[in-house]
Amino acid sequence: MNKIQEIIARVMGIKEVKEDASPETIEAWDSFNQIMLVSELETGFGINFTMDDIQKLGSYKQIKSLLESKGVFK
Amino acid sequence: MVSLNEYIERSKKLIPKPGKPIKLALLSNFTIKWFEEVLRVLCSEHSIAAEVYTGGYNQYAQELINQDSKLHNFDPDMVFLLLDTDKFLGEQYQFPYRLNPAQRKTLIETEFNGLKKLFSKTGSIIIVNSFLIPSFSPMGILESKQEFGLKESIEYLNKLLRDYAKQNPKLFVYDFSSFAAKHGHKARASKLDFMADMKLDPELVPALCKEYMGYILPVASKSKKCLVLDLDNTLWGGIIGEDGLEGIKLGPEKEGLPFLEFQKRILALFERGVILAINSKNNSEDALNAIRNHPYMVLKEEHFASMRINWNDKVSNMKEIAKEINIGLDTLVFLDDDKLNRSLIREMLPEVTVVDLPEDVSKYPELIEELNQFNSLQITKEDLNKGKLYAQQRKRNVFEKSSSNIEDFINKLNMEIKVSRANKFNIPRISQLTQKTNQFNMTTKRYLEEQIKELANSEDHLVLCCDVKDRFGDNGITGVIIIEKQKSAWLIDTFLLSCRIIGRQVEDTLINYLLRLARQSGVKTLKAQFIPTKKNAPASQFYKSFGFRLAEENSKMQLWELSTDTEPRFNKNLKLMEE
Repeated sequence: MNKIQEIIARVMGIKEVKEDASPETIEAWDSFNQIMLVSELETGFGINFTMDDIQKLGSYKQIKSLLESKGVFK
Repeated sequence: MVSLNEYIERSKKLIPKPGKPIKLALLSNFTIKWFEEVLRVLCSEHSIAAEVYTGGYNQYAQELINQDSKLHNFDPDMVFLLLDTDKFLGEQYQFPYRLNPAQRKTLIETEFNGLKKLFSKTGSIIIVNSFLIPSFSPMGILESKQEFGLKESIEYLNKLLRDYAKQNPKLFVYDFSSFAAKHGHKARASKLDFMADMKLDPELVPALCKEYMGYILPVASKSKKCLVLDLDNTLWGGIIGEDGLEGIKLGPEKEGLPFLEFQKRILALFERGVILAINSKNNSEDALNAIRNHPYMVLKEEHFASMRINWNDKVSNMKEIAKEINIGLDTLVFLDDDKLNRSLIREMLPEVTVVDLPEDVSKYPELIEELNQFNSLQITKEDLNKGKLYAQQRKRNVFEKSSSNIEDFINKLNMEIKVSRANKFNIPRISQLTQKTNQFNMTTKRYLEEQIKELANSEDHLVLCCDVKDRFGDNGITGVIIIEKQKSAWLIDTFLLSCRIIGRQVEDTLINYLLRLARQSGVKTLKAQFIPTKKNAPASQFYKSFGFRLAEENSKMQLWELSTDTEPRFNKNLKLMEE
C-alpha cells in the first residue's frame, strides 16, 4: 500500500485499501471519518486543502489525482 | 505528541477500570466529535474508570432544561460546556453596531441570565469555556473606541461568568482564550466549520481534553501531591560530582537560564501547596553543597519535604520518599532527564506518574507550565497560610503592575515605617540582616549578635532598625542603621535594607529621619561610607542622588558628607514612627 492507502486504512480502521475504495465500498467512510481523513491527509502530506479540494476527495482515486495535481504525490 | 487518530485507536483497546466510574458529559452548540474517545483514554491512563456522554448536536439548552433528557438520565458528575461565541450571540456578534451601547449591554446581561438559569438545572460540576473574543471587528481600528463595543461586550460576558463562578463552588470557567492564544487559529477551524459546523480543529481535541483533565483529576481524587525531582541535568545543567559548584549550569545567563526559570516555576508550584522531593544518584555532600551554596539555586532545603541523595536505586528511594512524607505512590510525579531511570520507574512503580523531560532544555520551564496534575478544586486555608508572606509579595507585585507609575504605586501602598532602637528582641534580627544583606548594603560590615549588643550599649553609637508595613502586610524588620557619633559629625557606619523593600523610598525617609535626629542633637554634618562590593551596585548611587558630597575616595571606599541643614527630600505618603 502507498501512503494514501495507509492513511485511509488507519482512519477507516481497515486492513486493506483497494483501488476502488470509496464511501460506497467502505462502510466506515462516513462524514466524520471524511473530516478525519482530510485532517490526516493534510498532516501526513504537509498541505492545506481548500474547500474546493475537499469536494474532490470522495474516493481513493480522487484523492490520488488531487495530490498528484498538487505535486505532492507521485 | 500523540495524534488524535492514535487516541481513537487506543480507545478501542481500553480495558475497563474497576470501581464506580466518573460520569462526564459534553455539551455544545457546535459539532463535537472524538472528545469521548480521547477522554476515555486519558482517564484510563490515570486509572480512572470513566463514562462519557456527548450531548446531541446544538442541544445543550434542551438537554439541561428538560429533566427527562438523555443528559439527566446519564446523571453526570461533570458537565463540560463548549459554546461558540458567534453561534451563541448570533446577530449581536455579526452586526453588533445595529444596536446602541445600552442595548448591547442589556443583551449580554440577558444572555448571562439565561446561562445562569441553565446552570441551575443541574447539580453537577460545570466547566464552561470562556467566550472567545474575535480578532476582527466591523469597526476596524475604531473598535477600541466604541462604548461597550463587540469585544468589550464579550469580555464583559466572560467577567460576569467569572464573577459568578467565584461565588459558586460548582462552576468553573475554563480560559479558552488562553487555549486559542496557545494553539492559534486552529482553535477556530474555518474549513471544517463550514463543512460540519466543527468549530475546533480535530487535531486540537487531545490538547483541549488534556486541559479538561485538570478538572477531572481532582474530582476523581486523583490529583497528584508531590513532585519528585532529579538533580543533575534536571535542576541544573551538568553533573555536580564532575563539574563542581562553579561548573554546573544555573544562573541568569544563557545556558544556565532555562534551569533557573525551571526552578522558579517549580517554586511557584510549591507556593500553592505542591510538595517537593529529591530522588538523585549523587554524592550527598556535593549535591547539598550546591543546594545550600550555589548563588542561583532557587529551590532550597527548606522547600523539600524529603531528600534521597545517594547511590541506592531510584525505585527504593521513591518508595522511601512516599513513606517519609506519608503519601501514596500514586500521588507522586517524577521528573528525571534520564530515559533509563524513567522507564525503570514506569516499569517497577506504575502508580507513579512519570513525565518525560524534553531533550531541549529550553523547553523545561514550559513543561512545568503544562503540568496540570496538581490541581485542587479549592485552595485550603492551610495552603494559603503556608505561603502567607509570598502571597503578600504577589499582591504587591500585581498592585505595582496596576499602578500607573512607581510614584503612584508607592503613594497608594500606605507604608508605615517604624524605627526602633536596638533592644534584646530585635538584636538577633539586626545581626542576621548584617550577615545576609548584600544588595542595598552601603558597607557590608558583618556583625555578630554580641557585637551589635556592644554597639547598642556604647555611648558613642546608635543602632537603629526599622519595620516596614504596608496595606498588604508586615515585612518585619527589614532595615538597619548604625551611627558612629564623632565629635562634630555623625558617621553612618552601616545602612542596609532587605531586598524586599528596596525601591520604595524607604531609604529616603530614613536618611531624612537621620538628618532631623542629628540636627536635634546639635550635629552639623552627616557622613556616610560606601564600600563597593561585587553585589552592592544597587546602592552605589544612593548618597549621590540624595545630595551628599564626595569628601574622600580611594580604591576601597568613598566618604560622603551632607550638611544637616539640608532641606530634606520628603514623601509625606510614607509615615514614619518612632518607638
